[in-house]
Amino acid sequence: MNGTSRLLRAAAAVWWRDFVAWRKFWRSSILLNFGEPLTNLLALGVGLGAYVAVMQGVSFLQFIAPGLLAVTAMNAVTFDAGFETYDKLNSSGVYAAMLTSPLTVPEIVLGEYLWEATRAILYGAVFFLVILAFGLVHSWWSLLLPLPLILFGVLFTAPALYVAAVARTHEQLFYYFSLVITPMFMFSGVFFPVAHLPWIVRDLIYILPLYHGVLLTRAMVLGQMAPSILWQFVWLIGYAALLAYLPVRALARRLTT
Amino acid sequence: MLPVGSAEPKEILRPGGNGYAKNSRKELVPVAADLGLDSSSGDLHEEVIVARGLEKTYADVRAVRGVDFTIRRGECFAFLGPNGAGKSSTIRMLSCLSPVSGGELTVLGQRADIGARRIKERLGIVSQDDNVDPDLSLMENLLVYAHYFGMPSAEARQHAEELLTFMQLEGRSKAAVRELSGGMRRRLVIARALMHRPDILVLDEPTTGLDPQARLLVWGAVQQLKAQGVTVVLTTHYMDEAERLADRLVVMDHGRILQEDAPRPLIERTVGREAVEIWHRQGDDQPYIAAAGDALLLSDRHGDTLVLYASEPGRIGQEFARQGLAPERMLVRPPNLEDVFLTLTGRDLRE
Repeated sequence: MNGTSRLLRAAAAVWWRDFVAWRKFWRSSILLNFGEPLTNLLALGVGLGAYVAVMQGVSFLQFIAPGLLAVTAMNAVTFDAGFETYDKLNSSGVYAAMLTSPLTVPEIVLGEYLWEATRAILYGAVFFLVILAFGLVHSWWSLLLPLPLILFGVLFTAPALYVAAVARTHEQLFYYFSLVITPMFMFSGVFFPVAHLPWIVRDLIYILPLYHGVLLTRAMVLGQMAPSILWQFVWLIGYAALLAYLPVRALARRLTT
Repeated sequence: MLPVGSAEPKEILRPGGNGYAKNSRKELVPVAADLGLDSSSGDLHEEVIVARGLEKTYADVRAVRGVDFTIRRGECFAFLGPNGAGKSSTIRMLSCLSPVSGGELTVLGQRADIGARRIKERLGIVSQDDNVDPDLSLMENLLVYAHYFGMPSAEARQHAEELLTFMQLEGRSKAAVRELSGGMRRRLVIARALMHRPDILVLDEPTTGLDPQARLLVWGAVQQLKAQGVTVVLTTHYMDEAERLADRLVVMDHGRILQEDAPRPLIERTVGREAVEIWHRQGDDQPYIAAAGDALLLSDRHGDTLVLYASEPGRIGQEFARQGLAPERMLVRPPNLEDVFLTLTGRDLRE
């Protein structure tokens, strides 16, 4: 068996473990990952939207819906990768058990990326059905939504795995959630365009991966695709490539002493 | 609540007894056949694990300080020692779960530092902590684990059924792991370690924390597997466990191997063939020791008990009778590994 097919088979085995575990709780899991973005959509989109007439030529509800899809996927990935990985390392011993088999840490990490990419697509798809029902989907370009969501499965999973590997308590996971993920959610152009912001704030926002994800999902859902949109892909791919190896060393340090 | 076998404790209590042994052997046939480890095939004297000058160093602790040992195919080899002796570090290195700090370690012909993947494909590892997957059922635990080895699903399912029966967990395949008792979890971990039909089963303190019934069941399983030709490597600090299971053992302390032998010869060599325990208040042991004369191999005192070890059975009793010594309370018994262990490693509490 050559290296690549070995790697993929090993990662698929890790994916399979996560899927079998998820299958037991999928209803509550979908509900949990779904309540918040749906609340945001209704409270802000419908409620606040009544006072904000038009944003970039579309209704406020229309403006925020695709961005909330990106947020749903980001959260589905982040919380699962954070909490589950922390437990797999510290209480259940799932990773320790995997390492008694021929699986290696890089294979486990790749398997988690595959699984979280699956989750991003799955939870994104559920949210997509809701905004479709609201009549907020306007383009066949939406069929390309899985592409950014797959990248989410790497670029948001990687830091969450890393944080789970270095965190000593559950509380430390929340530092990451509330100091990184929540601000990113608020400032990544989900609720307002960033063009009118002071340049320094704007440049900071450009660094946030979610910002590029939001631009992509919005362009796809609204059918506002332009060649420049490829740059958003470059950003996401760049982040995914940059971060992919980050958790491998941290996890190996925890698991092989 | 327990299904079939487990509801018949008498059978469990006699691992070598008729019902259990026959039953288990029948269930085990597929395992053995697939392992191809019956005595007709494979060299029983082949050296499957060889360590030379093996060392393990953590940050500033030298846990293993240059040990040599050789484990042969088909035998049960035990690492004995108090907490912190270096047993688990050694066994984690040979399981490729922990990098070798120094020396050489070869497992199944592969160097442990570069052949980890190939080694793990042929090792069944039962870690100290029962790391069964809490989100999965018993059957799922086994199937998912088989998947890690790239085992085809149909084959895995059939083998999982056999192993659940073998470990007396049949009828519970759909149960959640959370519902299991400690003993059942350990049995599930052992079943899991056998999923890929390993050549070597590695057990790190397999019965720590188990009740007597569960211990006997685990011992019975290990003996069955050994009978099928599986090499068994185990650590333990239970002397009766080592005595019952091990063909050969090493006693470790402070990261070094103190003694290596089969249990009986080791006992005879270290503490002779008879132990005489005399209870008396802290007082003068000298009369007893003097009376034992040259029959005495060594003596040991703990609390109110003086233990005299003799190279020949009966000699001390004869000497006492001849000299008119009649201790109020005296027990004559065969020496065991516990005597060896305490003699070699001392009585100081560890940790």
